[in-house]
Amino acid sequence: MSEQLTLYLHKLSPYSEKVQLALTEINAPYKGYHVDLSNKPEWFTSIVNPVGKVPTLTYGGPSVDPEDPSPLSAKITESNVILEFLADLYPDSGLLPKDPVLRAKVRFFVDATTKHVENPLYDFVRGQGSYEDVLKGFEFFQGLLEEAEDFAVGDCYTIADACISPHLARLKTVTENDLGKFRVGMGLKLGEELKGPKFTKFTRYVDQMLERPSLRQTYDEEGVITYFKTAFVRAQ
Amino acid sequence: MPQEQITLYTAKVCPYAQRTEIALAEVGAPFKRYEIDLANKPEWYAPKVNPASKVPAIAYGGPDVPPENPSPESTKLAESLILVEFIGDLYPSSNILPADPVLRAKARFFIELVSTKFSPNYMKFASGNPEVTHTTLLAGVDAIQGILPDGAKYAVSDQYTIADIALAPFWARFNVLVQKGIGAYKDEERKSFLKALEDPKYAKFNGYVQRLLARQSFKSTFHEVRPLFWR
Repeated sequence: MSEQLTLYLHKLSPYSEKVQLALTEINAPYKGYHVDLSNKPEWFTSIVNPVGKVPTLTYGGPSVDPEDPSPLSAKITESNVILEFLADLYPDSGLLPKDPVLRAKVRFFVDATTKHVENPLYDFVRGQGSYEDVLKGFEFFQGLLEEAEDFAVGDCYTIADACISPHLARLKTVTENDLGKFRVGMGLKLGEELKGPKFTKFTRYVDQMLERPSLRQTYDEEGVITYFKTAFVRAQ
Repeated sequence: MPQEQITLYTAKVCPYAQRTEIALAEVGAPFKRYEIDLANKPEWYAPKVNPASKVPAIAYGGPDVPPENPSPESTKLAESLILVEFIGDLYPSSNILPADPVLRAKARFFIELVSTKFSPNYMKFASGNPEVTHTTLLAGVDAIQGILPDGAKYAVSDQYTIADIALAPFWARFNVLVQKGIGAYKDEERKSFLKALEDPKYAKFNGYVQRLLARQSFKSTFHEVRPLFWR
């Protein structure tokens, strides 16, 4: 693997984090660069991503300073597209299994994360979604987990694990700190309910994911708490 | 070349399901096709094939049984885009997945764009949702045209890929709607959309979608059936 990889990211974004987790888990060399989204450098929108979003991965081209991106590199955007790209670049890494059926299962997990976890969870945190939908989402996700496994699919870390882990980390932060625009105490209640017997398999998987060094290195809990405290202020 | 049997649960009217039929036709895979009446689904379908009760779904492997009697031994898979990738993985020499990882990423990005800027609007427009006007539709066309490469036959290159497969069924049905004036939208919206598309600036898009409709795998799997909700 000789082509350069540079990841333009935001330290608090779960979408950027997914990609960082995958890169870290497979030990892929890359340069990471945090973009201040409230004050985007001109070179970011003109050369890296006209839409101005992170994560964006640049691949190939000359090896340059991240602040001096080359128009010659390929620009890959959309976090799930980037994850698939990394799995293609590193076919023996385990990010995606080789077997077609297992690959489909990993992708089904990724799809389930978007539909059944991300949307209900952040709607709930924003004070717009229902508590029940969050639980239903995690129940659905739990239903996909196999018995006594440490990973979402098979016996190694895949893009399915990378995809959901940032949201699980934020789930823990939200429930332990009751952080969000929902009614006071609902965050704590969610945490308690998820520790109950109905969610044993789910909790075991969450614990496994949150213990991984890749996550501990990447997840900035203090930063997320500060951000959530300002972004999700309850109406008085 | 897999030895395992493939059974596809599908419906002529459904654009998601047609994606998988196109993919199977492109790779030349033998498979059993089973039509699900979406207005009257068999009671075994959700419990034995797809708990979400939607098409398309594939039962892969296991014993060779009739589609109405799916075996617990087959693997059940769902979600049209996942199934298209699965078919590409089963037949890697078919080229519906580009060999180059950067081109693959372009194909997948194209699909993301179709999923966010185009296919949701098809249903909304047809059912007369006032949110979707000719301007919304043109924004979708602009987005797609914006990433079509110059001088290439298809979405990513001259090769027909999963990107084209993702869009074709949606464009085709949408095109039938607006050409024939079928659907619950206002007729002025339809006329404004068609008029706008005649502009030479959309030559690249128009050429591209014509090629999509001309593709043999598309033609052999497209049935001009009037969907339920248009009655």
